[in-house]
Parts: sequence; C-alpha cells; structure tokens
Amino acid sequence: MATNMRGLTQFIADIRGARVRELEEKRINKEMANIRKRFKDGNLDGYQKKKYVAKVIFTYILGYKVDVGHMEAVNLISSSKYSEKQIGYLAVTLLMHENSDFLRLVVNSIRKDLNDNNEIHNCLALHAIANVGSQEMAEALAEDVHRLLISPTSETFVRKKAALTLLRLYRKHPDVIPAQEWALRIVSIMDNPDLGVVLCVTSLILALAQDHLDAFTICYQKAVDRLNRLVVEHEYAATYSYYKVPIPWLQVKLLRLLQYYPPSDDPTLQVMLQEVLQTIMNNCNEPSRNVQHNNAQHAVLFEAINLAIHLDTNSPLVNTAAVLLARFISSKETNVRYLGLDTMAHLAARTDNLSAIKNHQGTIILSLRDKDISVRRRALDLLYSMCDVDNSELIVGELLRYLKVADYGLREEMVLKIAVLTEKYAGTYKWYVDTILELLSAAGDHVGEEVWYRVVQIVTNTEDLQAYAAKVVFEYLKSPSSHESLVKVGGYILGEYGHLIANEAGYSPIEQFQVLHSKSQFCMAPTRAMLLSTYIKWVNVFPEIKPQLVNVFERYRHVLDVDLQQRACEFYAIAQRPDEDELLQNVCEEIPPFPPRESALINRLNKKQIHTNGTLERQPSRMVRKSADTNGQGSTSNGDISQDIASSLAGLDITSSPVAMSPSTELSATLIAKGIPRLTAGANVDRWYEKLLYTAEGVLYEDVQIQVGIKSRYQGPLGQVAVYIGNKMSAPLTSFTTSLHTEEGDALSASFVKIAPSTLAPRTQIQQVVQVECKRVFRAAPVLVVSFLAGSHQTIAVRLPIVVTKFLEGVKLGAADFFERWKLIGGPPREAQSIFPISLDATGHIDQARQKLVVSGYGFQVLEGVDPNPTNVVGAGIVHTAADGKVGCLLRLEPNREAKLSRITIRSTSEDVASEAQKLLQKPLTAEAPSATAEKRTL
Amino acid sequence: MINYMLLVSRQATARARKVRLAKWYQTTLQKAKVKIVKDVTQLVLARRTRMCNFLKYKNTKVVYRRYASLFFVCGIMQSNNELITLKIIHRYVEVLNWYFGNV
Repeated sequence: MATNMRGLTQFIADIRGARVRELEEKRINKEMANIRKRFKDGNLDGYQKKKYVAKVIFTYILGYKVDVGHMEAVNLISSSKYSEKQIGYLAVTLLMHENSDFLRLVVNSIRKDLNDNNEIHNCLALHAIANVGSQEMAEALAEDVHRLLISPTSETFVRKKAALTLLRLYRKHPDVIPAQEWALRIVSIMDNPDLGVVLCVTSLILALAQDHLDAFTICYQKAVDRLNRLVVEHEYAATYSYYKVPIPWLQVKLLRLLQYYPPSDDPTLQVMLQEVLQTIMNNCNEPSRNVQHNNAQHAVLFEAINLAIHLDTNSPLVNTAAVLLARFISSKETNVRYLGLDTMAHLAARTDNLSAIKNHQGTIILSLRDKDISVRRRALDLLYSMCDVDNSELIVGELLRYLKVADYGLREEMVLKIAVLTEKYAGTYKWYVDTILELLSAAGDHVGEEVWYRVVQIVTNTEDLQAYAAKVVFEYLKSPSSHESLVKVGGYILGEYGHLIANEAGYSPIEQFQVLHSKSQFCMAPTRAMLLSTYIKWVNVFPEIKPQLVNVFERYRHVLDVDLQQRACEFYAIAQRPDEDELLQNVCEEIPPFPPRESALINRLNKKQIHTNGTLERQPSRMVRKSADTNGQGSTSNGDISQDIASSLAGLDITSSPVAMSPSTELSATLIAKGIPRLTAGANVDRWYEKLLYTAEGVLYEDVQIQVGIKSRYQGPLGQVAVYIGNKMSAPLTSFTTSLHTEEGDALSASFVKIAPSTLAPRTQIQQVVQVECKRVFRAAPVLVVSFLAGSHQTIAVRLPIVVTKFLEGVKLGAADFFERWKLIGGPPREAQSIFPISLDATGHIDQARQKLVVSGYGFQVLEGVDPNPTNVVGAGIVHTAADGKVGCLLRLEPNREAKLSRITIRSTSEDVASEAQKLLQKPLTAEAPSATAEKRTL
Repeated sequence: MINYMLLVSRQATARARKVRLAKWYQTTLQKAKVKIVKDVTQLVLARRTRMCNFLKYKNTKVVYRRYASLFFVCGIMQSNNELITLKIIHRYVEVLNWYFGNV
C-alpha cells in the first residue's frame, strides 16, 4: 500500500534526508500548508484523502502538533476499500483522544463495520474500540461486540478479538458490561474447540469472574474439564504446543481462575483436579536442558502449586509440592530460586504444618547470602513467614548476624521483622530484651521509634525483667559509641529501675549517672529532655548524687531550647524543695503498667507490607502473641511518645483494604443461593416431578429439544440416580453442561460421577450418574441445571426428585408392635396431621389401590390387618441417614367416603421427618381440579 | 494483567540509555509514567546478567529480559505469574523476529 503512495514515500524520504532541524520543520510546514489547502478545496478522491491523512499521521508520530485531517479520517472509515479504511482507523485511534467530539461521528461507522460480513472490517472496528475505549463507545457498542463474540458465524480470529475488546471495555468501564446477564453465554465459549478462542475468553472471564463470582460459578467446572483435557488427555492441536508444553498461557489462566473460588465440594471435580495437579507436578520430574521449555513448564507448575496450597494445605499434593520447592531453592537458575522461595513463603503463610519447610531451614538461611538482592529479599520474607516458637531463636540470631552485613535497602525491613518476630515468639523476656538491645546497637539508624517504645512497655509491664533490663542496658551504654535509641531506652529504664541494681558493685548511682551523662552531648534535644526526666527521678531515689544532678539542671536552665529550659527550671525548682516535702515523691511515682494494646510494630509492618497482600502475615488464627498482655501504650513522662504511637495506630485501618486476591470463603454460603438459575416452570414440570417422588423411574423433563429421564436406586442412606439426557434435534448440542446444586450441603450430598461431555450428538442420549448421600434430614430437593448451545444459549433448571422419603425403607410390623410404637412417639410435635379433600373413583368409592400404591411408592410398608377399619391405610418405615442414624416413621391414612375427606397422620421420632413426609404424601393424594383428577386416574 | 511494556536499550554510557518503545495498558499520568520509566530502567539496568528476571517495584512486579543490548520490561500486577510473563516477552520477541527477520 505504501508503495502506491509515492507522495508519502517522497515526504518521508525528504524528512529523513533533512540535515538540520530547521530544514525538517520547513519541509513539514510546507507539506501541512499544502494539505490544509487541499482539504479546504475539497473534491478529493479516496486515494488522495488516504495519502494526505497518512502524511498527517506521520507528522504526528514525529511529535509535531497537527490540527487537520480529523474530518477526513472520519470519512475514510466509511470507505469501502480496506486500505482507506485502515488509514482512517489508524488516524482515529492515534489523533483523537477518548473524549474527542469527532469520535461521536465514527460510532455509527464502527457499528456498521461490526455488522459487516467482511471479517477484516470487523477486526478493524474491534481494534478501534479497544484502542480508544471511551465511555461513549463502550455504551454504544458493547452489545455489538458481545454479539460478535457469541455469534456462531464469527470467525475464530474475530471472536478472539471480540473477547479481548470486551475485556478492555470491562476494565475501563466495568458498569457498562452486564456481566451477570452475559455470564452463562460467555462461559459456554470455554468449550470452543479452538484453543485460541478459549484463551481469549478465559482472559475475559478471569476479569469478570473476579467481580461476579456467583454468576460465573459454572466456569469452575469448565476450567477443571479443560485442564484435564489439556494435561491428562493431551487433547490439543500441535500448533498450541509451546516448547512441548500445551498452551502454557491457558493453563496458567485456568489455574489462576480456580484460585478465585473456594475449593469445590464436588468429589468428581476434586478427583479430576487432583489428577491434573499431580500430572503437572510429575511432569517436572524430568529436567530438561532447554531453558524455554523449563520456563514454560515452571510457569504452569508454580501456578499449580499455588492452587494446591489454596485447595488444602494438608493434602499429599502440597507435600509433593514442598519437596519440589525444596529442590528449587537450591537450583542453579536464579529465577527458579527466586520463585521457589516466593512460593514457599506463600505456603508458610498459609499452612499450619511448617515441618516440611523447616527441613530446609539451612538452605534458606544460605539464600540470605545469595548474589542477587531480589533472592535475598525473598529469603528474608520466607524466614519471616516460617518463624515460630521452636525456631525463632535460631532464625532471629541468624537475621541479626546477617543484618550487620546486609544491604542498606534491606535493613529497615529486616529490623522491623526481627523486632516483630522477637516479640511474637519470645520464649523468655530475657531473650527478648537481649535481642532488641542488640538490634538497637547493631542497626540503630534503621530502627523505628516503635521498636524501643515496645521495649519500654514490655519492661514496665514485666516486673521480673526490670532489674535485668537495667543491667543489660547499662552494659550497652558503657561501650564507647551507643546509638541514640539505645540512650533513650537507657535513660528511661535506668531512671525507672536504676535503683534496683544500685547496690551491686559496678552499678552505683554515680556510675550510672556518669555513663548516661557522657552520652548526653552527642544527643538531640528530645533525648536530652528525656535524660533530664531521668535525673529528676534519680534525685528522688539517689540522694547521694543530688548535687551533681542539681548541677545539671542549673546548667540547662540557660539553654536556648524551650522544652529543655522549661524542664530544667521545673525540675530545678522541685529538687530545691525541702527534704520533707512530698511533692518530689509524688511526681516520681513509678510508672504504672501500660494497658494492653495492639502492637504498634505489627501495624507498622502491615503498613509496609500492604502490597504483598498480607501473604507474609500469618493467618489470624496463628497469630498467637505470647506477650499480648504486655502490649501497651499510655502516658509516659514524655507526652509526645504517646502521640506518636497513637498516630502510628491511626494508620492501622489501611491494612484492612488490600486488593483481595484470594476468594473469601464466606461467599460459599451465598453462592449456593444465588448460583441456581431460576427454575424452569410449567404444569408438566411439576407433574413429572411429583410423580417421580413415589416412582423410581420416568420422565423428568421434556421439550422440543431435549428429554430428561430418571432411573433411581436407593440403598440405606445412599442412592444412585441415573439421569438420561437425550438430544431430540437433528443438530448437535454444544457447550453441553450439567451441574447440581444442593441448598443444604451438610444434609444432602449429590454429585455427578463424571463431567458430561461438552457435545451431545443429534438424536443421541447420554447417561449421567448422580451419587446421593443423605446425611441428615433435609427439605429441599437438589436442582439439576442443564445448559447447552442450540442456536442460542439455553438453560433448564429442574428439581431432581430426591427427597427425604427416598431414603425410607418399609418395615413389617404386627398390630401390637405398631400401636405400641405409635403411642411411644406420641402427639405433636413429633406428629404431623392434616385433613384434605380426596376424590372418589368412577364407582364412587375410595380408590384404595391407588392410595396404597402411593404409600408404598413412598417407601412405606403397607401393613394389612392392623387398623380395625379396613379402608384405613397404615404404614411403617425407617429413614436411613448417614450422620443421624435411623429415624422411625409411622403412617395412618383415614379416608372418609361421605365427606370426601381424608385424614393423614404421620408420627416419627424426628419432627422434621414427620412434617416433611406428611407434606410429600398429601400432595398426590389430594383431589385437584377435575381435569387434573381425570388425568391422574389414567396414570 | 500487564500494566506497561517498555523496551529500553543499554548504551555504553548511562546517559545514552533510551526508551525505544513504551506501551501503557492503563491510563497513567504523564508524571507517573516518567517516574516509573526512570525508576524501573534504573533498577533493571543495574542488574547483572546472572541475576533473576523479576523485581518488585512498589506494589507491582517487574519482569524483564535482555536480548542483546535491548531490555524488554513488563510491569505486571501482584497476582500475575512471573514466568508466564517472561514467556510472553519471549513470544513477542519471537514474533518480531519472525515478522521482521533478524532483529
């Protein structure tokens, strides 16, 4: 095309040939003037317009401002020639910003191209929408893009682009896309035979499902199925094998998608997923020389490990994963080491059982000395995550040792982590104080204020520690150079608890004073102020050094710093009062213990680590802090301290708002309620269902397209329901999906033995077996959802006839036994009774045969000769449940021919069974509107 | 999702380093862009060859790979897979190579 436009080629050649900037500008100005004139004159043909717009684009790309050509670009879009259209679209996407008024003019042209039969034009239009992505376009065209995506006549490359365009629109304007409404239709494309389309649609679903977990639930099943086909059954076209790994991009996306959802409780899916993950892990046992192959394989593997951790941290799979990870962290490849440590940290943060990781503690500690700072950082994170009471001394000791040689960029984070670990897992307070003081002296500059506040709080709140802390801090102060934080701690602790050690040799008041005061000159004003407070405390407890202390106050009375001067003056005045005065004693009362509070340290760390999505912080259940009682904050002699802590606490609420990546489990409850599509309605649907309640096989649903039949067998609390689904049409049903929803998951479990094939050939039938187990008495029957593509996407949702009476087994009882039990159970609430109208048969008699049929169909043993009245029906049975054992159930049906009424009484050891069974039995026995009765009689 | 992709070349002098291509997949302020480009190129170019291809920058991950003197740098989100991004870069280079001949 460019070869045809000689003018353009010449223009570009001229500009490239320009020796200096001025010449280039001159050439451009000349050309622009020419173009402006041509456009003004009008009457240009398509070719000329194309050529000039192309020149305008080139000028624009060079960085010059252009103010012509917009209208011409809009005109070019509606041209029928591809080359002109293409330049038009290019100009529109480049020259116009998304709020430009010109865009309004192109919306219609774009729509026309979207509806065009020419796929190339579809693609150009999709590109333009995705590139511009303005609100207006999204609102006007999202519907058309969606249509292109789902239309069965779209070419695969159009579908791919449509999916990605929708994704782009959704990311920019999430409210424009009716995600809930489109969910099922979009998910059904995951069954598309073209993997490229599947990849694009999965990207789209990945974004949509994150915000609409419930609406997209069915994608879980699709994802598992697709992974199974790719990984286990090797069902993919050779072109999609990338360095011998089947379409790694798709695998990673599917594995990621599964992590958005809470683990499925469907055993079939679980088994399939286990197999997939196992296979992925096994694949990595054969190391390969090809770096590209390894990268692709590991990409999938790490995602699989993350999923395995998400599913269940105690599964054998995770153990396998831990072994693999251990191999990785000593790998030669830096990338693999990095990711190995990263994933291990993720595992350590989630699991309760750290032993697998602890085995490799040595290797991990070695990683702290890796050549690469990124790897060192990950090792640090991992050590932090894997630390617990058992290994804390070792890990903290190791970290402290490393701290002295660590990079500056790493130190602050390390210090915080050491401080938190020390506090969280301190076995003894002695160790705690030792470690923190060493930390202060080793890396004082990087130690935040919070760290030493905590030391003071803990020492104040722990009486046994006070003398020891005073001694240790004194020793540290004796070294020639001490960090200011250490001086602060020293000042505070010696002031409060110096008197506890004053009688021991080497710790006399005068020595304490000299050591502390010698540091004073190197300190900032706030620290000196603290030291003054220390001295006034000493005036109270060490009268022997009072002259020296008063001397200090006297000197400070003349310093320029207001705070220091004021303190000195006040302290001087207090110190000068007569000895019998109680003011000094009252002022210098010992500080009371701090009230327990959340540790400011952990808050600080959370704030820092917010971007890691909290993976570093253990789950709340594991955050057992031994020193919780000593956490505190309160007024100290320095008012500003409490303020600082308060402000650090105020920042705390940020921690609750990280981008939630992992799906929260609380959703599973609401999921069930919402995940069920609206039940398919119809008189026949109800009739089929009701009939199946007391028969073992029959039709459950039928329309012009499909037929669903049922065959069922029950044994104790277990049942097996075969669902036959037949395609009555002459075309195949694609994206065929079946799923089950139970509302009371803890009372009744129902799941398919295997996933249904995604295509149902014309005029064929498939059998899907459902395994049922009744754990407790339940009320709601499970819902079967069948969806498929036949022209449009259709969904049928019907209840499966699985009710509590299906688990009823008849028992033979004699009259005496029956009435003894009947009395034993007694009246309400363990009795359910009702009176309802009945219809008589053709001869005007009670249809006893039918009544008995219904009663025995429900599983009761009809007992003959028990009731004195022969028209009455008496039955007995036992409901089997797996968790609650057996529940006895007795029935008495007393029809009255004259009144055309009947009384049903059910007594059961479980009130729920009684009321449930009464409701279930009454329905088919009740007389209905005449037409329905007639119909029934024919059954 | 990928937030941005940069192609940065390493020249003999630090001053001559240049962004050859930048594609932003998210609306970003010009000022923020400049800052990201500056920070990220600095981080990436300072790394030695045997180091790993991943970095953490603020709350994003950065994945880069060097082809001759050209660095391909991708900014991705926390939740993304690093290795697969590396594969995307590699695939991109393969496509460029296939399309334009030896690049």
